[in-house]
Amino acid sequence: MTLAEAPTLWELVQLAPEPLLAGAALALMCSVLSVLVVVKRLGFIGQGISHSAFGGVGVSAMLAALGVISTGGAAEFGIVLGFCVLTALGMIAAEGQRKTSVDAAIGLFLVASMAVGGLLSHAAQRVAPQFGQPADSRSWESILFGSIIVTDRRDVVIGWVACIVVVGMLWWWRRAVTFWAFDEHTARAFGVPTGAVKSLVMILLAVAVVTAMKLAGVVLATALLVLPGATALRLSDKLGRTLALAVGVGTTGVLGGLCASLLFDLQPGPCMVLVMTGMFVGAAVIGWLRGRRGANSTMAA
Amino acid sequence: MPTTFAVEFENVTYRYPGTEASVLEGVSLRVAEGERLGVLGPNGGGKSTLLKLAMGLLEVQSGVIRVEGESPSAARRRGVVGYVPQKPDAEMSAPISVREMVVLGASWRVKGLARVSGEVRAYCDRMLELTGAGSYADRAVGKLSGGQFQRAMIARALACRPRILVLDEPTVGIDAAGQSVFAELLARVHSELGLTMLVVSHDLRAIAAGSDRVACLARRLHLHGSPSGLTPAVLAELFSHDIAGIIGTGAVHVHAHAASECAAHGHAPPGGDSGSGVSELVGLAVSAPGAGTKDKPEGGT
Repeated sequence: MTLAEAPTLWELVQLAPEPLLAGAALALMCSVLSVLVVVKRLGFIGQGISHSAFGGVGVSAMLAALGVISTGGAAEFGIVLGFCVLTALGMIAAEGQRKTSVDAAIGLFLVASMAVGGLLSHAAQRVAPQFGQPADSRSWESILFGSIIVTDRRDVVIGWVACIVVVGMLWWWRRAVTFWAFDEHTARAFGVPTGAVKSLVMILLAVAVVTAMKLAGVVLATALLVLPGATALRLSDKLGRTLALAVGVGTTGVLGGLCASLLFDLQPGPCMVLVMTGMFVGAAVIGWLRGRRGANSTMAA
Repeated sequence: MPTTFAVEFENVTYRYPGTEASVLEGVSLRVAEGERLGVLGPNGGGKSTLLKLAMGLLEVQSGVIRVEGESPSAARRRGVVGYVPQKPDAEMSAPISVREMVVLGASWRVKGLARVSGEVRAYCDRMLELTGAGSYADRAVGKLSGGQFQRAMIARALACRPRILVLDEPTVGIDAAGQSVFAELLARVHSELGLTMLVVSHDLRAIAAGSDRVACLARRLHLHGSPSGLTPAVLAELFSHDIAGIIGTGAVHVHAHAASECAAHGHAPPGGDSGSGVSELVGLAVSAPGAGTKDKPEGGT
């Protein structure tokens, strides 16, 4: 395909409106959260939450096998989300114990959730025929390894509802959340209910992780929760500008990667991750050059 | 007219859960309104625990604590106490300016559509000027020196208009020249705002320079009175564990005795092996205003 033959942006929008709309929702939601994730070093917690979804998938598979819920429905998504939220709150509770470090707490919940998910999913396949249900493991792929290119109108609604809830709640409690993120120990001494704020952030993180996994897959979810914030923090030390840059990086990465995948018939997830990685490398180089210029001007003075 | 007490400890004993030995034992002290109390003691002597109890960050197990006549946690929730932490656990990579940090201290309760009033912002600017942080108010916190960040933290504590200012080890990491500037700053804050101040430190200079009264704390209260009560004998007893760890118990008695003799005769203690620490420490007590006199401590347990 030559450049002259390439479709215009409008043609791309018409070609894949749902993936672009769902991608925009994910980019906005995850980019805002990513600044918090990077500043508070919550990246590993995000990993723990995403892997704990395996446990939720196992529970929903078993319930589907028993005929309690239908496979692929809203109930299944709700169960996985609920499982991840409970896991996130469990990590906080375990972290509060004197003898358990946060890393150990995350590792504990991560492996336990995966073990529960594996056993229940396997058991569900054996149990399903006894209850007249089809024995399939479709839900593993559909929930954990979603692809943004096959998103439909329902996924767009899920993405934008999650985005409005996450960004709206962060904005509503923005000052308490910022104080907690900046200086948790002192915030508590100032009367900030740090336990409640932390729980809120963890729940919102779980919502973002599960939604992003469902719509775009686990790798892109992780990338969206780290790269926009990390890139923006390389370029700015002002709060408003950092948030705007993070949203810009996330949106450009998702939409740019999606357009590249449509143009060149490539997988969308890796394209998006590579666009964002490229922006991070560019920001790191700019930051390094700025540092050198600053050091030179200081020496000259 | 009866004295009104800002902070009262009555026979307070505290032991951390899961430990055998108590950190504080039978501590009783009172801080009058507008008074500056310096709490001096060795590392592990219970100073920070005393502060945490006064701020309601730890629940008192035995005894009574009142802050402005109410429980410490109730006083904390009302914003009665302004807190300057010992070692900031702040995330210095956070994209936040000094002014934003100070305004957060005063406005973290403001949520949703509400805006921080111009009057609050003006008061924050006034506190920035009072503490000398006004000249770098728009700088990112990650670009501040230790002393600059200390001033910003004091401005943040003052911004919520507390009646009691609590400072935990405020001179850690500040050199001798910086300490005298810092002492002047605290004196200026005290005279301008008329606050009750509670300063905890293991640094004798910091305590002697800016306290109306001192409390010497090493699990128990060894002295609660005027700074003139900081005699070499009191200091040697207070820091006996620290000193014994460096030079051995026998040497402590020799040096403390030598310094006491010097104090009695009005000259400096022998400096032959002042590197040992105790002669320097006790010598400082001798040179402190009024120290070495026969003043009787006013209380203690």
